[in-house]
Amino acid sequence: MNSLLNSDNILFTSAFAIQFISIAFLFIKDQHKALFAANTVLLIGLTLGLFSTISSALFSSAEISLQSIFFNFIRLDELGTFFLFIIQLVAIPTTIYNFSYLSHYIEENRSIKSFVIFYVLLLISTQFIVIANQAILFLVSWEIMSITGYLGMMLEKEKEEVQKGSFYYFAASHVLIFILYIMFFLLHQQTGSWFFSDYHLSFSTGIVVPIIFILSFIGFGIKAGFMPFHFWLPQAHPIAPTVLSAFLSGVIIKMGIYGILRTYLFIKPVPEWAGWFILIVSIISAIFGVWYALAQHDIKRLLAYHSIENIGIIGIGIGIGFIGSANNLPAVEVLGFGGALLHTLNHAIFKSLLFIGSGVVYQNLGTRNIELMGGIVHRAKYIAILFLIGSVAISGVPPFNGFISEFIIYTGFFKTANELKNFYPILMLMFVVGLAFVGGLAVACFTKVNSIMFLGSERKAVKHFYTSIYDYISLGIFALLCIVIGFYPQPFVGIVNKVIVSNFVSSHPSSALINIDWLFFTIIFSIIALGIFFLFLLKGKLEKKFGKRTSPAWGCGYENINPRMQYTASSFADELNEISKSVLVYHKKVEVSNTAFPLPSKFESHSNDFVDSKIVLPSYKFLSFLVMKIKFLSQTDIRYYIGFILIIITIYSLIAFLW
Amino acid sequence: MENVLSILFSLSLFYVSVTSRVKGYVAVLRFQGLILSVLVLLPFLKNFSIFGIILPITLLLVKVILIPSYINKIILDLDIKRVIEPTIQQIVFLLLVIATMIVIFISSSVIAQSTELNVIPFASGFSAIAIGIYIIIFRKKLIVHVCGFLVLENGIFLFGTAVASELPMMIELGVLLDVFVVVFLMGIALNKIRSTFEGFEVTDLGRLKD
Repeated sequence: MNSLLNSDNILFTSAFAIQFISIAFLFIKDQHKALFAANTVLLIGLTLGLFSTISSALFSSAEISLQSIFFNFIRLDELGTFFLFIIQLVAIPTTIYNFSYLSHYIEENRSIKSFVIFYVLLLISTQFIVIANQAILFLVSWEIMSITGYLGMMLEKEKEEVQKGSFYYFAASHVLIFILYIMFFLLHQQTGSWFFSDYHLSFSTGIVVPIIFILSFIGFGIKAGFMPFHFWLPQAHPIAPTVLSAFLSGVIIKMGIYGILRTYLFIKPVPEWAGWFILIVSIISAIFGVWYALAQHDIKRLLAYHSIENIGIIGIGIGIGFIGSANNLPAVEVLGFGGALLHTLNHAIFKSLLFIGSGVVYQNLGTRNIELMGGIVHRAKYIAILFLIGSVAISGVPPFNGFISEFIIYTGFFKTANELKNFYPILMLMFVVGLAFVGGLAVACFTKVNSIMFLGSERKAVKHFYTSIYDYISLGIFALLCIVIGFYPQPFVGIVNKVIVSNFVSSHPSSALINIDWLFFTIIFSIIALGIFFLFLLKGKLEKKFGKRTSPAWGCGYENINPRMQYTASSFADELNEISKSVLVYHKKVEVSNTAFPLPSKFESHSNDFVDSKIVLPSYKFLSFLVMKIKFLSQTDIRYYIGFILIIITIYSLIAFLW
Repeated sequence: MENVLSILFSLSLFYVSVTSRVKGYVAVLRFQGLILSVLVLLPFLKNFSIFGIILPITLLLVKVILIPSYINKIILDLDIKRVIEPTIQQIVFLLLVIATMIVIFISSSVIAQSTELNVIPFASGFSAIAIGIYIIIFRKKLIVHVCGFLVLENGIFLFGTAVASELPMMIELGVLLDVFVVVFLMGIALNKIRSTFEGFEVTDLGRLKD
């Protein structure tokens, strides 16, 4: 092809090359300089990559024609480009945060060079996953992504919780890749090709395609964190370095979503049971994800459960899309997949914002326990505001971006009910209520987080709250994206619509997504924002006129309020946690002395994961019990092993002889 | 002629299963090597070619001269006890060997009805494989394990000549080289083991387990 030296192609390839080259700068001896150089080069590479992605067919009329450069190994179709866009968009601010985050470690005299190498490889392999057009390349990139993620998590490897949590991640990734191997071998066996562009299967051809679908859902679902397979997420996210947990939660679990959508493209149209299956799994993930989140005290673990919730919401969108595909309703399809894709982008943005925000707090306070935080708003006002923006966005409250994607999913529900009359309206109504419930719990949860963490007075004395310019840049970019997508969703909706129209909908694409009057949102949100602004002005004026009265936070009339008298995270969520005690595995331990003279009293509450404590660990114990039963076969003497070989050979020969 | 040689080969297996001297094993290895060399030489007596002679000569060199004298040298150098240490009685071992050979010979003749193969070389080779493994399982001395391994290898060689009429010569030579290297390494390993462990029994190696 003559387009080999096309400027777009050069830009695209050099973006990857520059990202890769950044590793070389780690040879600089001084750690601060090495970090600065490598990170800057990585940022340049990522920015170039983002430019080249934006200049691709999905976003403009110019086209990147990499189709044939690497022997068809790489293909930039709309779905892949969209995810590439998400990865690069999230990676840039996260990498900016690297400057300040890792310099903390350098000041503690730790080596961060290996972490940076793993981080760079993680970014590159993740980008390769979405542009791979060949199963082996895909699987290899996937494996590199998993392993570098694991190695990156081991930054503080001397801590016991880090070893435990990262092992969860490693084990889950291991199982997952095994399932993916089976799935791709089945695909290869069905089509005789390793290239994604050759995979066109149909559900009507037999039992293999449903098996492929189920395998893909389990395999990619483990990565994405759908409810029965989510158990590794709350273990791995808290212990990962903040940069990594932001990227992990923002992007890597989205690779599971990418995988499910990619598999859908291989086997579309799907039957309706597949849609219901995903819908039910997703609504369970969403409800229990947020409910578990409410019971957590560890800020990062809480955010990890919120990732499960949001993956559930994305899954609901995919489920609606599947139902639309089964009934050949392009309008439903467009709304379902559109909501899912836009929520993928949105969640990547605000979840990274929240993780990085919590990382800033963690670095200053040295704890992830919400119960020990408080009053941070008096130390770092802008961090609190930026975190609040992320919280509002993740709760799906207007005017930020979370609302837009959830709105599309709600519209999808109503559209389904409208188009498929019969018993659908009542079922859809149930799902609407479920999703609304999720939204309500999310608001409750983030009210808890923001009020306990940022408001009130300090529970733990903080000498100096240090924030660097990089923190603000990184959080600011994310917050800006939240606001932009919230206030002006048209271009993003347009992009999502383009992805779906080109890949997902087979015939007569519907314009249901772009026909929503998005301009109304812009106008209404602007009015709300202006209203708030004027209220603030009014408040300022009134304060000037009448003066400002201050009293201790949540004083409620008490004179000598002390930090221990404040609401705590567990007391805030107690009522809600009591309801679902058994599912949440929620324990409370109260020790009140009942003696004449008061003795110290104690209160403890914690929640274990149901799947982890009731399914995964017991089955692991059972497995190890079984393995111990056959341990007598493990002998010290080589002669026994040769005897075993002889027995096996005899059995084989007998079978061959008698066959 | 092939059948006669194979039967001689099988008889040597009986001897190897009752002898209690390490020297006896080495003598059997020499004998088997000689039989195999003659066996490979036979087809080339009919139509002589200079390349055809390479394999028998190498076989003779490696299996009859080099390996047995190397094992003898190890025995002398390391001052290994000359008697083997069986874990079961010799007569039981012999009965086991006879039973195995009966099963193998009968099943080979059954197989031969449906496929084209020379029954006697095939069954002899197969028996040698089984008995090589038996020797490794039921003897303790490491040097006897080496001999058992070599018997097994001889069996595979004979088996190969029975199944395919002619294996490519390069493969045969490659296998020979492999075997020689293995035995050589075993000798070096035994030398090293002596400096750490007292005896030369596999049970001692069990202490290496983690």
